Amino acid sequence: MTVSRSVSRANWNGWGFVAPALVLLGLFMIYPILWSLWMSFQTGRGMNHSFGGLANITRLTQDPVFLRALGNTLIFLVVQVPIMIVLALLFAVALNNPRLRGRAILRTAIFLPCVTSLVAYSVLFKSMFALDGVVNDMLLFLHIIREPIGWLLDPFWAKVLVISAITWRWTGYNMVFYLAALQNIDPSIYEASRIDGVPARARFFGITVPMLKPVILFTTVLSTIGTLQLFDEVNNITSSGTTSGGPADATLTLSLYIYNLTFRFMPSFGYAATVSWVIVLLVVLLSWVQFQFAKDR
Amino acid sequence: MFLNTSRLRNVAAMATGVSFLALSAAWADEVTVWCWAPEFNGAAMNAAIAIYTAANPDTTITVVDFAKGDLELKLQTQLASGTTEGLPDIVLIEDYGAQKYLLSFPGAFEPLTDVIDYSQFADYKVALATVDGQTYSLPFDSGVTGLFYRTDLLAEAGYDAAALQDITWDQMIEIGQAVNAATGKPMFSLDIGDSGTIRIMLQSAGSWYFDAEGNTNIVDNPVFRSALGTWVRMLQTEDLYKQVSGWGDYTGAFNNGDVAGVYSGVWMTGGIKGNNMSGLWGVAPIPRLGDIEGSGHASNLGGSSWYVLSSAPAKESAIDFLKTVWAGNADFYQTILVGQGAFGAYLPAREGAAYSANDDYFGGEAVWANFSEWQAAIPGVNYGIFTNEADAAIAAQMPGLIAGGSLDDAIAAIDAQITQQIQ
Repeated sequence: MTVSRSVSRANWNGWGFVAPALVLLGLFMIYPILWSLWMSFQTGRGMNHSFGGLANITRLTQDPVFLRALGNTLIFLVVQVPIMIVLALLFAVALNNPRLRGRAILRTAIFLPCVTSLVAYSVLFKSMFALDGVVNDMLLFLHIIREPIGWLLDPFWAKVLVISAITWRWTGYNMVFYLAALQNIDPSIYEASRIDGVPARARFFGITVPMLKPVILFTTVLSTIGTLQLFDEVNNITSSGTTSGGPADATLTLSLYIYNLTFRFMPSFGYAATVSWVIVLLVVLLSWVQFQFAKDR
Repeated sequence: MFLNTSRLRNVAAMATGVSFLALSAAWADEVTVWCWAPEFNGAAMNAAIAIYTAANPDTTITVVDFAKGDLELKLQTQLASGTTEGLPDIVLIEDYGAQKYLLSFPGAFEPLTDVIDYSQFADYKVALATVDGQTYSLPFDSGVTGLFYRTDLLAEAGYDAAALQDITWDQMIEIGQAVNAATGKPMFSLDIGDSGTIRIMLQSAGSWYFDAEGNTNIVDNPVFRSALGTWVRMLQTEDLYKQVSGWGDYTGAFNNGDVAGVYSGVWMTGGIKGNNMSGLWGVAPIPRLGDIEGSGHASNLGGSSWYVLSSAPAKESAIDFLKTVWAGNADFYQTILVGQGAFGAYLPAREGAAYSANDDYFGGEAVWANFSEWQAAIPGVNYGIFTNEADAAIAAQMPGLIAGGSLDDAIAAIDAQITQQIQ
């Protein structure tokens, strides 16, 4: 009797303590998510919208701009995430070497980009990569190129620029995860393998990578989500004036398209919500695939 | 000593009380205005404010200045959010976007039909801001276009004012190349991503992205085909222009003297007069499309109007201000015409002295009389509500076209994209 009463009271106390958090979560997280799902079935212009059934999904399949944005986003994903993960892994292993001098400074230098202000670095990149900017001047001076590259003007180079920019910014961030995980690998494993005469390359692929697998999975999923939501760089570096998606829409991502649909074009909130649910589905799908991939091996 | 301190304290207390009074008085009549282009819209607005506050010292009017794109995004975001806190009392909206805001956010803007006598304003400006019989704007400036050029640089290449009369865009390309060959300076600064040139060409032949009913007017529109083709030819002629990206680059090029000219709306005068090259600039009519029958030398680019937000706390003062100065003071329009090139839509102002005077900055030519004449010749078109969408569709095709892509394919793609986007 007394036991059950104290249990139920403890339960109530527990619920009481989490209630404020739950209410806030419901109000600012779950309610807007459900509302956006409802919005994705609305059609109309600006504040005049009405229920349109599956009209937005039909529109999605016929929209060349959406398909372009989807294609760009997937290209960024497929090219940029592997480059960044491999780079971060190599940096982490290199900087984990106790015999390396100035490790702390190098670690800080590689990590620093991800704490810089997004807008500040975007503005800097924009001026550095202008037609008569520092980068072109340097490449011309070194005779690597004959005429300046239109980093911000050419569809191909604009993509290269965005990929370089996000790699520069986020490699250090992922490296820190690997560095932390590397501390957890028992040094005796390496010692034993060295005694057995396992070469360095095989130690990396046979011990380091498998031991880091959960962290690699975690960073891959995180980077995938980040790249699917890519907005800041493409909005601040490559889009200007009426080219709201960079030259020839080459750097138009799904997030930037959502933004254009809501704030730049005739506001089409319902359709924008539909596109944002496409991102949600992509995140779920790709994360699931990555988890399956990691499980099988 | 003690006495002094307490007296001081009294004075301080009184001063605080007075300042509180002043604060609350100011609170009631503080009008905020959002606009872009401080040297043009901002300067014109400040001239109007100086006139109004001289007669109404209780009213404080503050101009907040943004980049045009930022202002539009901020306004649209705020209107979409549904909260009115932080919105200004008066906002400047470009004519291309007016109908979009009025239709998307019903009730957000204050109808001024009962307050302003719209018969005193140019008809097309009033029509742009009218929805369901209610007019919402205080019509501001026209964007009548002209070709601003450096007389000294063109003279070096052997061209005088007469050589720029009644020419086509293709002749303009040749002149530009000759100027570059003679002076080493390109004729224009051009931004591939800015479709303004196409808009100028379209309206100069009485055409637009959309027809009078608002349907896409791209495929089978000879004017659009000609305009797009001409724009591509211009961009393919590399010695015609300096390639720029963004508005700052674009205006910087002619303000620094890197290029020999710019074709734009009359409002560009504000920027051109800001760079201390008096006597070195001339204004010619814009070229026309050579292969289009009925294309002329008069067109429009931009132009905007003032709107009052219905939620504005100082709405009454804002409306009174617009009514008193912007819809009732012809002399004010003379000041901003000469100072900024603000070519007002307020018709009584056209009788003023400045509109027929010669301008020394432009070599003593009667440029304002010319602009008046061109203004009257602008063909009227229906801008519709999807100008941004059309611009984006064109910009997406430009790099491919410049690389030599098929004009027909590009037109089909532009048409498909716009048609898809405007549902």
